Amino acid sequence: MKTIKIQLLVNNNEYEVSVSPNETLLDILRERLGLTGTKRGCEIGECGACTVVMNGEAVNSCLILAPQADGSKIMTVEGLMRNGEYHPLQQSFLNHDAVHCGFCTPGMLMSAYVLLQQKQNPTETGIKQAIAGNLCRCTGYQQIVEAIGDVGKKGETD
Amino acid sequence: MPRKIVKSKYFFEEDFIETIGEVSTEKVKDWGPNSQLKVVGKSLSRIDGYDKVSGTAKFSFDISLPNMVYAKTLRCPLPHAKIKKIDISEAKKVPGVLAVLTYENAPKIPWYYGMSFLFDPHLRYEGDEVACIAAETEQIAVDALKLIHVEYEELPFVVDAGAAMKPGAAKVHDAGNVVRGEPQIYKRGDIEKGFKQADVVVEDTFSTQVEIHNPTEPHCSVVNWDGSRLTIWDSTQGVFSVRDAIAGYLKMPASKVRVIKKYMGGAFGSKLEAGKYTVMAALLARETGRPVRIALDRRAMNLAVGNRPGSVQKLKVGAKKDGTLTAMNHYSYGAAGAYPSGAGCSRPFRTLYKCFNVRSEEYTVFINTGRGRPFRAPGHVQGTFAFESIIDETAEKIGMDPLAFRIKNYAEVDPASNRPYTGKLLRQAYKRGAAAIGWQDRKPAGSGSGPVKTGLGVATQIWWGGGGPPAYATLKLNRDGSAHVIAGSQDLGTGTYTFIAQVAAEVLEIPMEKIQVTLGDTAVAPYCGSSGGSTTAPSVSPAVRDAAEQMKTKLISAAAAVLEIPGNQLVYKNGIISVKNKPDKKLTIANIVRRMRERVLLTTGARNANPSGYAINTFGAQFARVEVDTYTGRISVKKIVAAHDIGRVLNRKTLENQVHGGILQGLGFALIEERVMDEFTGKMLNANLYDYKMPAIYNVPEIEVIIVSEGDAKISNTGVKGIGEPAMIPTPAAIANAVYNAIGVRLKSLPITPDKVLMALQG
Amino acid sequence: MNNFTYFQPKTLQEAGEMFGKSWHETTALAGGTDLLGLMKDDIEAPRNVVNLKSLPGLNRISYQPGKGLKIGALTSIAKIASHSDINKRYPVLAQAAKQVASPQLRNVGTIGGNICQRPRCWYFRGDFHCLRKGGDICYAVDGKNKYHCVIGGGPCFIVHPSDMAVALLALDAKLTVYSGGKNKTVAIGDFFVLPEKNVRRENILLPGEIVVDIRIQELNNNTKSGYVKFAERGVWDFAVVSVAAVIQKNGNALKKGRVVLGGVAPAPWFEKKISKKLSGLIPSEKNLDEIMKTALVDAEPLAMNEYKLPLAKNLMKRLIGELTA
Repeated sequence: MKTIKIQLLVNNNEYEVSVSPNETLLDILRERLGLTGTKRGCEIGECGACTVVMNGEAVNSCLILAPQADGSKIMTVEGLMRNGEYHPLQQSFLNHDAVHCGFCTPGMLMSAYVLLQQKQNPTETGIKQAIAGNLCRCTGYQQIVEAIGDVGKKGETD
Repeated sequence: MPRKIVKSKYFFEEDFIETIGEVSTEKVKDWGPNSQLKVVGKSLSRIDGYDKVSGTAKFSFDISLPNMVYAKTLRCPLPHAKIKKIDISEAKKVPGVLAVLTYENAPKIPWYYGMSFLFDPHLRYEGDEVACIAAETEQIAVDALKLIHVEYEELPFVVDAGAAMKPGAAKVHDAGNVVRGEPQIYKRGDIEKGFKQADVVVEDTFSTQVEIHNPTEPHCSVVNWDGSRLTIWDSTQGVFSVRDAIAGYLKMPASKVRVIKKYMGGAFGSKLEAGKYTVMAALLARETGRPVRIALDRRAMNLAVGNRPGSVQKLKVGAKKDGTLTAMNHYSYGAAGAYPSGAGCSRPFRTLYKCFNVRSEEYTVFINTGRGRPFRAPGHVQGTFAFESIIDETAEKIGMDPLAFRIKNYAEVDPASNRPYTGKLLRQAYKRGAAAIGWQDRKPAGSGSGPVKTGLGVATQIWWGGGGPPAYATLKLNRDGSAHVIAGSQDLGTGTYTFIAQVAAEVLEIPMEKIQVTLGDTAVAPYCGSSGGSTTAPSVSPAVRDAAEQMKTKLISAAAAVLEIPGNQLVYKNGIISVKNKPDKKLTIANIVRRMRERVLLTTGARNANPSGYAINTFGAQFARVEVDTYTGRISVKKIVAAHDIGRVLNRKTLENQVHGGILQGLGFALIEERVMDEFTGKMLNANLYDYKMPAIYNVPEIEVIIVSEGDAKISNTGVKGIGEPAMIPTPAAIANAVYNAIGVRLKSLPITPDKVLMALQG
Repeated sequence: MNNFTYFQPKTLQEAGEMFGKSWHETTALAGGTDLLGLMKDDIEAPRNVVNLKSLPGLNRISYQPGKGLKIGALTSIAKIASHSDINKRYPVLAQAAKQVASPQLRNVGTIGGNICQRPRCWYFRGDFHCLRKGGDICYAVDGKNKYHCVIGGGPCFIVHPSDMAVALLALDAKLTVYSGGKNKTVAIGDFFVLPEKNVRRENILLPGEIVVDIRIQELNNNTKSGYVKFAERGVWDFAVVSVAAVIQKNGNALKKGRVVLGGVAPAPWFEKKISKKLSGLIPSEKNLDEIMKTALVDAEPLAMNEYKLPLAKNLMKRLIGELTA
């Protein structure tokens, strides 16, 4: 049960971390790298609060063993701002008030980011499918769907 | 500014509270309709948005301190047991384990109104706290918990409220299972006489499930001692309530306890009181000499930090052929859990419609499960479901349209107190809501053809949500004309930060960008109550306006002194004070503050007392359009129209968000959410977010929000009432009534899951 | 989650040799979405975890016209859901894949892991020492059994949770299983086991045996297929009942078909009677109603799950009707 050295590229920063096999990517991001934007809500893939982008895909970081993530390119909510400017998704979430308590927001943003990378102007159904794994307990989701749709319509995917 | 001490009364979560508070005696001008205002009422983006979309928002869960250790709790696996023996020696030997607390070594701190202790060897529910470990990492703590060896004496248990009421049921407490030993009885008039006057009498029984709050952010605290001073970052709805509770538990001066909550990932009533975990963390932090973070896992959140008690409600309603209600009777029971909480649900029944002969009898019983806590409109959501269902049944029996029947029994004064309302625009809500849903096209129940049937339903809400004193806000005006408002309130995502800035901006006529708001810190903020009962905006916004108006007065007085011109000759506009008819003669805020040789001007505003002799309520009607697939039993809610009278809207954007959220929680309660207990073992079966189903994106209906009210000037200087709870109250009832309208079979037990629909359709 | 030793084998042989006699000692990690949940809930606590994703070449999809489809066992569910040949030629499989769990889980979860996932029974997943965990009793049979099986149960009453397995059984897929140095072929119909045969496992795999790939024959051009899933929450939910159907048409009548039910039994349930009656059937509403009378006739619902019978029949009728319209 020795520790394993893994390398991660998180928000374009390189990290080498010594991990225990039973640590998860979420543990590493939050507790080791201090990237607390990624949230922990359920620990078993049922809430989506820990969603990050791993090698271009949305994943629940609570269900990725740290060694599984070795060599991966990771993006978290902290990687969304560009030179101090909002990513269009962030701006749109604010405009549409797609934010309430804010705890599910980072995960929502990550699922939305991946969707817009893969689909230029997603349909409402497409948006709903993309955030189906992200639970929100405060809002009615509609503002979130509209916020994502708005960015898609404007074609501001990155 | 002149002050006086007055009595005031308002409703908070489960009952009326009488307060004595210091209030401002100066009457300020009513704002009038929002159309006359520049900032208040507008759809503005929340001012704390950056933190939330950038990931920089530090929730209590995210606080990390140097040298911090982690605490985890061992919970009882049985519904009722006594600890015969507990052995922590093996756990203590694990490298990295720093301290272990159990009932044997922890201070005996009374809990649950003196009925138990922080650690009690008598465990009364699955999830009850047995031990708590502090360790270098969370994983070490979790592993070490498994090495605590506990020998339990298993005791008889009961986990169903109905079973707990029966003679011979296992006793949760020695004094018996009925809380306080007797029912809560309410009556007015003479129901026997009233039922005799009725042309039709309808009787029916309804039941509602136990609902779990399940906010996304786990209950958690980070605690740190600096000598005798304790700082707690807590995920809480009430920083002062936690401060005082913790100071009491630890027998220390409240001034030495500082509670901070900047952001919180939801609560819905489950974070209104101090948690055992916070005290455990404080004890462990003292023992280890290091900061401690304690966070519940999802399982513990389902077991141990509250729920909406279930209910069984037997109702009887009598009405004349013309629709006049003549008598109503309500009998109900529900479970407190293992320690006292309220399971009553008859308040809407007592207050919604005009009826002179009314009686209710409510039993709250102990069972061996986690204790109930207030949950978004406690009692009202379940009570309104049953009551508004039987109101529909009665209307049908006398052949009246359900909406017309409600209007026929419209209460012009509060039926319980006979007091007039400060404002009631429910008729307008009915009218505009009905138009928006297309009520005129409503078809007779079950008359549709084909496997997918549609239906329309309506339900009404009544709530208090008027807020009241004490609530204060401090306003600091800087020399550069920027302002800082500090209040001991909380923003639960409900937009408190933002509306405070709006109110200050409205009065001081300075840009929103120049205003900073600090909330949720007992060390720096004046007192505000806990954020519950839909009281935050109605309590806090008037205090902010008061502080800002005082500041304006102060600036004008100072300008008068500087200019040596009477104050009434001066005009305040956009942060500049000028002499009437001499616009060139003016002073900026900076000019004035400099002349005063200050850098910060300070005022503290207070919430006024509520007017006496009035009933203060929110009202609203929600209309639901549903589709029921009779092949599968699936209910799809297609549209909800929410028409409410909630006084003044402070921010249309955050208000809509709040209404949408309330409706979706109502939909979850109506259709899918339910705690499932195994009666043979007394254990919860779905203490996770897969088996405990909360609504996901798929379940969302179209929502139309209609606000029929402007400011209610009789209440306060902002005329605001709350919306958080009103938004959820009528949704389940409206959906249930729409389902009946669709399929012609009434479902009387929530949640209305597909299996119930299918079996009901089979006959 | 307990600590363990983590292995990343480079070959199947190396991987196979890492397993001892017991699943409890060493377990296989494919996507890990189910395994990590089981480990975090203390249902499984293996000392060794073998990450199969390090094996090369097991995450490919190949389709050859005339020959059929081959899917590597470590192919993600998301990849199957979006694969154009699968969407065109095997819609039942693509539709099932699209409805598995959530997008995040489909990106990581694999088809091999999906068909080998453990049941969702809340007694099994909870703090109950039930039959499937080596205990003496099934808590569900007299407990809260709304989601449990209506047929094929006893002494344990789980339902098999996999969507993919239901579609694969309708397609009569073949699995390649690595076993002791060589590959063997197992028909998917022989892969799953009922509790009466083995109450501890849901399939025939022995420790060290690894599903390598899944092969599906080419379908005739007159074949229609589809998957319908009924789940309470609609998304990110397991099936209460699901139906996969693969039906070959012949003019107005049906030539033959295979109908499989999910959510009704401890294994994907091949509806023999209905499948047989599809041969020669004119798929009118009346005829479909008629044959549905024979569906699930041997079912023995528990106290709380009788609703699954009308639900299953209605879903079968709706899906067959839609596919043959």
